[in-house]
Amino acid sequence: MTMDLLRVLSVDPCDRGSQRCRLGPGLMSSLGLNLSSPLLVSISESSYLCTAWPRPDCAEGFIQMDPKSCSPNLTFHQSTSSHININQISPVQCPKLKGIKITVVVQSSDFKSNTPPCVIHELVKDMLKGVYVHKDHAVNLEDYGTEIKYAIIEEVNPDSERCGLVTSKTGVEILRVKTLRFFKGGVQQQNNTVPLGGLDEVRSSLREMLQLPLIYPETMCSLGLSCPRGMLLLGPPGVGKTQLIRSVAQEVGASLVMVHGPEIVGARPGESEEKLRAVFASARSMSEDGPCVLFLDELDSLCPRRAGAAAAENRLVAQLLTLMDGMDQSDRFLIAAATNRPDSLDPALRRPGRFDREVVIGAPTLQQRRQILSVLFEKIPVCSSVDAEELAQRTTGYVGADLSALCREAAMSKQTVIMKHFTEALKIVGPSCLRGSLGQIDLAPVSWDQIGGLNDVKLKLRQSIEWPLRYPDAFGRLGLSRSRGVLLYGPPGCAKTTLVRAAAASSHGAFLSVSGADLYSPYVGDSEKALAQLFRQARSCAPCVLFLDEIDSLIGCRSSGAGSSGVQTRLLSVLLNEMDGVGLKTEERRGSKRVLQTDFEEVCNSEVMIVAATNRPDALDSALLRPGRLDHIIYIPPPDQESRLSILKVCTKPMPVSDVCLEELAQKTNFFSGADLENLCKEAALLALEEENMEASHIRHKHFLQSLSKMTPSLTAAQIHMYQTPPA
Amino acid sequence: MSQMSLTPLHQALRKAFQCIENNQRTWRTVLDECGPLMVSLGNLAEQFVALSKVDLYKTPLKVFPDLEEKLRFKLHHATDTVMGKLHEKLSSLQSVRDSISSQVSSVFQIQEQLSQTLDISVLTERSATVPSVADMMQWLQDADRHYRQQFVKRKSLLLTLRPDDFSQMESAPDRWNSLESPNTEHRITDMLCKVSFFTESQ
Repeated sequence: MTMDLLRVLSVDPCDRGSQRCRLGPGLMSSLGLNLSSPLLVSISESSYLCTAWPRPDCAEGFIQMDPKSCSPNLTFHQSTSSHININQISPVQCPKLKGIKITVVVQSSDFKSNTPPCVIHELVKDMLKGVYVHKDHAVNLEDYGTEIKYAIIEEVNPDSERCGLVTSKTGVEILRVKTLRFFKGGVQQQNNTVPLGGLDEVRSSLREMLQLPLIYPETMCSLGLSCPRGMLLLGPPGVGKTQLIRSVAQEVGASLVMVHGPEIVGARPGESEEKLRAVFASARSMSEDGPCVLFLDELDSLCPRRAGAAAAENRLVAQLLTLMDGMDQSDRFLIAAATNRPDSLDPALRRPGRFDREVVIGAPTLQQRRQILSVLFEKIPVCSSVDAEELAQRTTGYVGADLSALCREAAMSKQTVIMKHFTEALKIVGPSCLRGSLGQIDLAPVSWDQIGGLNDVKLKLRQSIEWPLRYPDAFGRLGLSRSRGVLLYGPPGCAKTTLVRAAAASSHGAFLSVSGADLYSPYVGDSEKALAQLFRQARSCAPCVLFLDEIDSLIGCRSSGAGSSGVQTRLLSVLLNEMDGVGLKTEERRGSKRVLQTDFEEVCNSEVMIVAATNRPDALDSALLRPGRLDHIIYIPPPDQESRLSILKVCTKPMPVSDVCLEELAQKTNFFSGADLENLCKEAALLALEEENMEASHIRHKHFLQSLSKMTPSLTAAQIHMYQTPPA
Repeated sequence: MSQMSLTPLHQALRKAFQCIENNQRTWRTVLDECGPLMVSLGNLAEQFVALSKVDLYKTPLKVFPDLEEKLRFKLHHATDTVMGKLHEKLSSLQSVRDSISSQVSSVFQIQEQLSQTLDISVLTERSATVPSVADMMQWLQDADRHYRQQFVKRKSLLLTLRPDDFSQMESAPDRWNSLESPNTEHRITDMLCKVSFFTESQ
């Protein structure tokens, strides 16, 4: 095993620029390599093309490669692997080439503009003679000590070959001349781009915008069009705004000047503005070498809304505005900016002429998540049984960053990843839009079976909560729009809250629960803001169930006169607006506009479902109860005899009972609510312990009867009658 | 057996070393001839600079009509002559490089033809008087690379000289001299010494 691994040593000084690969002679003959015959050493995606030479000391087990011809990403960052396996080395056939097409990389744009192309051609031809070249490799020409640094082999003739030898008869054609800085930028960009999925539409519009002015400036000029020069990307954190710009810039072949907002800000007055001007100047000089994108990340920290006091920031904003206005047609670069807080940007930035176009990248929809997952799956050893479709359905509200975290968590130190690993990982990695959200709860999942009786209520709840979340396509097929809200009402202690919990557990959507404590605040307007924020968060991870327990105390009734304080009325109006408003804010858009038309994608407001519970339906505002808002109003009745029996069965399941007739108990417990019945069981068990002194092993029927005699039902006939007359 | 098949290779190697030895001397002489030319080029550039600095109308020379244009023309003419001579030298350097390259590549060709019969172990065999074939071929390649590099460097210097950029032209002699790499030259001489027994053992 150890024999197969070769230790990588650095190149001897006398071998530098010779394209030699020093190997042990034994290895050379075992690989069938001759003196100076070409070989390809591949390291992951990249490779070196060298000629085989025996080591002067004939020692085996070492390898020294001269990186004269290697993949472009290895030119600036030599491979760091300390060992190379023998099977990474392969001999290649290198016939004499008829012709090559190359891109020449030169030191400075000065040289590029001052040197006639024929001189460059002549020199490069001399330099490349006798070199083995490989398609898409960069040939290092630095050892000649001229301004010409690299030649990138774009095409070889004959096409059938991937590599070959350049002789004096090989025709060399120079396609482009690039500067070293431009080339370096491009290579570095290539090294840190991440494959992106599900952003195809935004991507193509972005690419078009970049490509038209950068690649075809003359056409734009002749048409008399002034091309758009600024673009603002909006979207929640983690959707891939920065990565998108990176990958599009790389695809278009533009260099990228990255500016992170806080980097610009300096301590002394005027320093920040100076740095900003320097950034623009560097973008301008870069754009002389080729297309260039100036990318301002986290623009909100750089250019907050101008307000009276903070003069330093005002000046910075003003500087950016003047710089953007100062760009003229001759400046061939484009400004892109990204932010996740568009509201806090200065409004002056958001007009045509500055940031002409605003592209909203929302949280990914089902389809987009599927695409993202399929991109992510390429890199990890996923078992074929993993259903990307189902995983995409279960990850509502996850953005690209969350999904990649999910995959990382699932794939960690495993040979092959199966669905079980993903379900485990789902518990650890939650959607980031819910992090730090109001009303996020951890709930112990309750299954439907743990709730006794109430079968028709369960069915209704599943219809209105679980089905639309789980089978959106079936709803779409039947033209069924999902309900906006469900109100559960009924006497206290009849399992309203538990029912909602079970519903939340069975539908895999996000579940938020709020109480008055979360919303109320001593400051005027704060509660309303919190509620609106809650809705925004719920929408960002839609489909989502929003549970408002005890809604009567949370949100009052407008008609109840002076008693209701202002806060409750205002909260009510916010709630009504959020549930049934005209539309939603543009920056909350999800997917692209086209998706809006297909109705089973989670795009619109209707994906947030309100579930409210109350035991005082009469105290609710009538506006809340109309269809379109809380349109399913479900009465949860006190348990009848049959239900009581099943509740008792559920409650006594963990208890060791003997000779207990649950039917009899169910008969005798009229007007007992579910909570009462549970209490009854508890009392009976305590009684058993009391009587038999801790050694009790069974709870007997008499204990039940005894404790029953002490208890009174919490419900009364009058109460129930009140509930049975429909509210409002 | 293997020694037999090595013979043509050894012959070619001897020939190549002979060629390098001869050409090294030629190369040296051509370069020595280039030195004064480069210096005169630098002088001419200096004169150009001086001419553009001086205001002839303030000197006693103002009586001569069109003096500046005439002087400029003369200087251009002189520069052209020097450049022409330098290009001639360059082409003789090129012929040196070409003859070395062709010798070296013919050695490599012979080696390639014999590669079926020759094992690596034979190629790496060395003795007190005869270095291994691999080593000798490597030295040949090194020498060839050295002359090609030198040639490209000098050619690029001459080709990128622009008649309107005087400061660049003024610094040309210094840059020309800095292109010398005595270390590599020395290594080639060293290499020729190492193979002297081998070349004489015919």
